[in-house]
Amino acid sequence: MPPLLHGLSQRCLPARTTLSTAPFRTVLHPLLPRAFTATSLQLSKQMPPRRVILDNEIIENFLRGSGPGGQKINKTSCAVQLKHLPTGIVVKCQETRSRQQNRKIARRLLGDRLEELELGEESRTAVKGREKSKKKKSAEKKRKRKYRALEGKEAGGEGGLEGQGGEDAVDGVEEEGEKVTGGEKAADGGKGG
Amino acid sequence: MPRLATSLLREAYAIHPCLPLLLRPCRDLQAARNELRWLCEHAGKVARLRRAKGRDADPKQLLKRLVQERAAGKPLQYLLGTEFFGDLEIRCQPGVLIPRQETAASVMHLTRLLRAALDLPPELRVLDLCTGTGCIPLLIADELTRCRQDVQLRLLGVDVSDKALRLAQYNLHQTQRKGRLSDTAKVAFIHADLLMEPFDVQPAQTLCLKKAMNYSRVPPFWDVFVSNPPYISPAAYWKTTTRSVRGFEPKLALVPPLPADPATDTEHGDIFYPHLLAMARDVEAKIVLLEVADLAQAGRVAEMAQNMAIFDGIEIWRDQPDQPAEERGAQPSRFPIIGQGNGRSVLCWRARGGSWLGKGPSPVSPLDDARRLWESHRVSSSFFDFKFNSRL
Ligand SMILES: C[S@@+](CC[C@H](N)C(=O)[O-])C[C@H]1O[C@@H](n2cnc3c(N)ncnc32)[C@H](O)[C@@H]1O
Repeated sequence: MPPLLHGLSQRCLPARTTLSTAPFRTVLHPLLPRAFTATSLQLSKQMPPRRVILDNEIIENFLRGSGPGGQKINKTSCAVQLKHLPTGIVVKCQETRSRQQNRKIARRLLGDRLEELELGEESRTAVKGREKSKKKKSAEKKRKRKYRALEGKEAGGEGGLEGQGGEDAVDGVEEEGEKVTGGEKAADGGKGG
Repeated sequence: MPRLATSLLREAYAIHPCLPLLLRPCRDLQAARNELRWLCEHAGKVARLRRAKGRDADPKQLLKRLVQERAAGKPLQYLLGTEFFGDLEIRCQPGVLIPRQETAASVMHLTRLLRAALDLPPELRVLDLCTGTGCIPLLIADELTRCRQDVQLRLLGVDVSDKALRLAQYNLHQTQRKGRLSDTAKVAFIHADLLMEPFDVQPAQTLCLKKAMNYSRVPPFWDVFVSNPPYISPAAYWKTTTRSVRGFEPKLALVPPLPADPATDTEHGDIFYPHLLAMARDVEAKIVLLEVADLAQAGRVAEMAQNMAIFDGIEIWRDQPDQPAEERGAQPSRFPIIGQGNGRSVLCWRARGGSWLGKGPSPVSPLDDARRLWESHRVSSSFFDFKFNSRL
């Protein structure tokens, strides 16, 4: 089979054929900046399809650094870097904890950059930029407020004193455990250490 | 480890008072900022959930504790409770190895090749030994069923750790619950000790693979055989693993147990592979994918596979097998080396495996293939295991 079939941007199912047009799945939503996702979904209805990036146009690098990998280290960064061979444009994404998601975002960023280069003022980013500039400001403000509350520079009014226990929650199981239908043994599998 | 520059610490502190602590495990500012963002989100989420339950929760305090634990070296994945593996979010828990991105890359390259296969059987059976969180069978199911609804998948994960099996089962449930497991895929997990021989005394709770498979009434033959076994030698464990791995991840998952016969350090690290290859042969696997630590171990494992004389082809994959081969001068290697990065896995195929992988049909007739399998059974010691078990 030609390399086309192997590529991320050339998947078998139509919905996932081009990474850039596929809407994000809900599973991954919480990890994306909200404003970004919402806007791009809305706008994609009015806009022409994104530029498809072929796998043989790019070199993808997972930036694993030197030294051993595999079982020997447990990395938390899954940065993805794309180099577009014809233009030499390089984009990098380490936004999320999911390498797959970073790959998708990086491809979209690259697509935007290429389009900017090719279409200038007509490009999606230019149009989007104009439309978004108003919305962006308020979204930004909101996010900042939230972040500040967490940072504690402005202690949130609802916050109480931290009670004892909750080890389970810190291990991240509490939330999932709740969604699992009650009484399942599997839910306990995740709990407690 | 070199000390962090004061200027860097000061710069970090100016951004957020927690950042200097996170620089300890992360070493660079961008990575520390990423982790802080994820920990903040997590603290916020946990606090919301606790409040919803009517419990008190202060995200600030939660965040502080998370950051302190992280600074002490606890892996971020244990703190957040999950790691991404392909498109799946896999639950992680202390006591069970955190899935690695390199493993996902190998597995996804394999599934990418299989997706294009024209002659897959109506039921494709995939065996994953040393399954840990269960991440590999779940990812294979996710990647394959997406485009190959024409193929029924049967996947079996095996591990010796009860904790791992419970977590794998949990991950299976979660994947199902999220609607991410197709009806065309059946996943199960069983308990077995892969280093135990059928002749060994079988303690009450532990069986060798063959007996465990008989006991669970799973089929004896499997098409695709995958394993990421413990592969770090004792010396390499102390020299090359990071502190966070040594301090927080289970040694059982990383270093093979002390061999009965005297062995060099290198042989100690390789212990699982002859066992795995013999099991791959016994289940008549057509494709075998084994993860390794580096190119040197890859070479040794490929050699072992070659010596069994049952495979049509053997190649070595680096961390990114889908990228064009690295040009590092002429490597004198008996086996093709694919992709870029560290040596990461060994791929072997026989019979119809070659055509499934797009490597072309087997040069060996089915009769000769059966003969070489039989021959290999006969010369290896597990010939006797085979005879014994077939009587059961
Ligand atoms: C390196 S981890 C791999 C986990 C998972 N497959 C992954 O890729 O993340 C190795 C696993 O092998 C299991 N293991 C260790 N010794 C074993 C044995 N003798 N028999 C079966 N499983 C064993 C450990 O419990 C651990 O879960």
